Amino acid sequence: MNKINNSQGLQIPEKYLVTPAYVFFLVNSMQVGVGILGFEKYLVEKAGFDAWVSILIAGGILHVVLWMIYRLLQKGGGDIVHIHKLVFGKYIGGFLSLLFCAYFTLLAFTVLITFIEVIKVWVFPGLQSWIFGFVLLLLVYYLVSGGFRVITGVCLISVLIGLPILLLKFFPVQAGHTMTIYPVLSHDITEILSASKQSVLSFLGLEFLLIYYPFIKNPKKSKKWAHFAVFYTTMIYLISLLVTFVYYSEEQLKQVVWGTISAWKIVEFPFIERFEFVGIAMWLYVVLPNICLGLWGATRIPKRVFNIKQKYLVIIFCIGFYIPLGFIEGRPVIDAINTFSGQAGFYIILYIPVLLALKIISDKVRKRHEK
Amino acid sequence: MWKWKRKGKQKSSKQQPSNQQSTKQSDTIPKFIQVMSNSEDFVTYTLSGRTKCTISYIKTMCDSKILNRSVLTTLNDNHLHTLHDMQEKIPVEDIQITKDLDVIKEKVMVGYIMLQVRDAKEEVLLIPAVSLEAREVSVPEVEFSVVGPKEAFVETLNTNINLIRKRLPLPQLNIKEMNIGKVTKTRVAIVYIDGIANQDNVDTVTQRLEDIEIDQVTDSSFITQVIADNSNSPFPQLLDTERPDRVTSNLIEGKVAILVDGSPHALTCPTTVVEFFGASDDYFLPWHLATAFRLIRLFAVIFSVLSTPLYVAVLTYHHEMIPAELMATIVSSRSDIPFPPILEVIVLELTIELLREAGARLPTKIGQTIGIVGGIVIGTAAVDAGLTSNVLLIIVALSALASFTTPVYQIGNTIRLIRFPFIIGAQLWGLIGISMCMVFYIGHLIKLQSIGRPFFEPLYPLRLKDLKDSFIRLPFNKQTERPVLMRTGDPQRMNSSRVNAKRDIDE
Repeated sequence: MNKINNSQGLQIPEKYLVTPAYVFFLVNSMQVGVGILGFEKYLVEKAGFDAWVSILIAGGILHVVLWMIYRLLQKGGGDIVHIHKLVFGKYIGGFLSLLFCAYFTLLAFTVLITFIEVIKVWVFPGLQSWIFGFVLLLLVYYLVSGGFRVITGVCLISVLIGLPILLLKFFPVQAGHTMTIYPVLSHDITEILSASKQSVLSFLGLEFLLIYYPFIKNPKKSKKWAHFAVFYTTMIYLISLLVTFVYYSEEQLKQVVWGTISAWKIVEFPFIERFEFVGIAMWLYVVLPNICLGLWGATRIPKRVFNIKQKYLVIIFCIGFYIPLGFIEGRPVIDAINTFSGQAGFYIILYIPVLLALKIISDKVRKRHEK
Repeated sequence: MWKWKRKGKQKSSKQQPSNQQSTKQSDTIPKFIQVMSNSEDFVTYTLSGRTKCTISYIKTMCDSKILNRSVLTTLNDNHLHTLHDMQEKIPVEDIQITKDLDVIKEKVMVGYIMLQVRDAKEEVLLIPAVSLEAREVSVPEVEFSVVGPKEAFVETLNTNINLIRKRLPLPQLNIKEMNIGKVTKTRVAIVYIDGIANQDNVDTVTQRLEDIEIDQVTDSSFITQVIADNSNSPFPQLLDTERPDRVTSNLIEGKVAILVDGSPHALTCPTTVVEFFGASDDYFLPWHLATAFRLIRLFAVIFSVLSTPLYVAVLTYHHEMIPAELMATIVSSRSDIPFPPILEVIVLELTIELLREAGARLPTKIGQTIGIVGGIVIGTAAVDAGLTSNVLLIIVALSALASFTTPVYQIGNTIRLIRFPFIIGAQLWGLIGISMCMVFYIGHLIKLQSIGRPFFEPLYPLRLKDLKDSFIRLPFNKQTERPVLMRTGDPQRMNSSRVNAKRDIDE
């Protein structure tokens, strides 16, 4: 692996590398974002209370996609920019890489505005997104400027802090009825599959492997951790979904935009009530790695393509994020952006097998030429 | 970080200023004596007894016992004509003959006696007669412990090294010395165990110390600030301790210690943020008790930093979070208060800080009075007058108390300070503001390094092995390896199979 990296000028100094186990945190924290706070509604609209089957199917699909990503990276060596260059040449490859950059930017931006929307809806209706966004982006800049290792650290913290929040699922279960899940499988296969497609969207985040792969020490060993991470994410989503199914009725769930946050409301301790405030504040830890890694990935691509300093790119992208913040408001707009980035992610996932196929073909052609 | 310093400094330039001075003022011994004679405590006279020679020394730096008993008696009793004769006869250790003016100046300034004879004008004899006024080794006051050794470092480097060496009778215990400070020329020693300490760490410390450009080093904290990886951070990146036992156990773990002459504190590095919350008491107690106390301390620190910001956040924005019964208590205590929570908190926090500053600057006996006056009288009066609420007074007092549980004084200062950004964050965006502050500090801690090693270590990079002695302390037989952080050449502390050998019943 090292030899290949050497030949492509992609060798990252050892002090910037992370050990394979961190791939677990990187993949998991990127997959769990704002989506999980309100994904239930979209699934239930498609497949009713059979949506949990869809989650399992989507999880299975993601394992396959992950396998493909690793295949691609191990064959090509280096990152997506390098693979694009090998397969498509300098110009088309560069253009395709920039599409990835646009996608990562979109993903980070979506997470940012959705989180601000959550805060507006649940905590501060009169929040000045200009000021809040400014401070939040300063924070993001501070973290991203620390480099990949710092971002990995934030991912680790986010997964660790996310754990106790999961335990809160216990409260809605106490208040719920398990019988509502039955009868099992009353929807037909197309409905379930379309819900699977919907849930793939909330699982996005794997694709970042394509850009941070060279930063992993012994990348081959990281494969199992990535698969663990996808499995863990699937389980988190599955449990969240089942808990909301137990807690809400099917018709009610279609009306609830933020299923998970609404379920937090009933959490009660002797000294604290209305746990959603704490939950949303804690969710900042879960959201930040998404924005940071998104921004890092988005700025790393132009750095690799054009050889621009990433420092300046991060500042430019932060400003780019900041300017539209004040204008984007209201549920419909944010919903549209979410759907759009979801669609984009879906196509990116579809594109990966294509790229893998092209890569294999181009390798074969090249070998034949060499002979 | 040190580039700009290195750029401006050629190898020779370090010596230049003093050389220039010397060429101007005293490039010969007579001129040196002449310059010195401006000070009243410099004594020079010629003996005209059996031995004829000139004696010069600084009265305030020399031990008159050595001068009177060993030097003058020998000189008066014998016929000695050359410096070599004197060197043989005078019963004092380590007498040297030199022509080097720099050495002569350096030695005379620290209290050596200089002897000259008429025949050899260039050469002088230097007799060590340094009198050191030093404090006795006493009980540690900052890091007091109920059980365990009660020795603390003092202001003399030699005594401090002695305190370490007598605990570590090892030939591998290396001590490198250098002089730092253009004017003070303070002796600074790097202490480490060869073979256990990572050579990279030793080299980093040595190189950073050599690169220091500073005029004075009056305390070890100067060194901490100058060689820190990020000198803008509120977190100290070298652990300072006044306990020789703590330094010793750190050395055995593979750390490097820095001792500064004139400072009763040793610095150890690399260190982690968790280490600042461990006390030496933790190792003198059974492991479960020690673990419990460590967790209590950790909780205390979190409470101390977060309690008042949470008060501001909850009372300003999220009243709904408080259960109805508890709300009644808080409302009744706050009903007469004319201020918003943020003002109330800032005033009270500043009052506590004021008391602390005043208490620290005053003599102990008056300090206690101030504590009573401040804590009880002002507190009660403020509540009676309706300026602050009872609940907040309890919270603030508790958080002040909690911040004293930190075993290392330096981190206590940090904790005092870092709560203020949290309070501001809480006032701006409630719990989310607190979260943002927390993320900032976590990010900062992840970025920080202690001489190139991660400062947030057992947490990130996550090293489960090092977690055994961080928030918890497992028994000694579970800690058979040195911390991974040190990257030591010899990771095995003891033979784990022998330590953990199981015996059967009745064997």
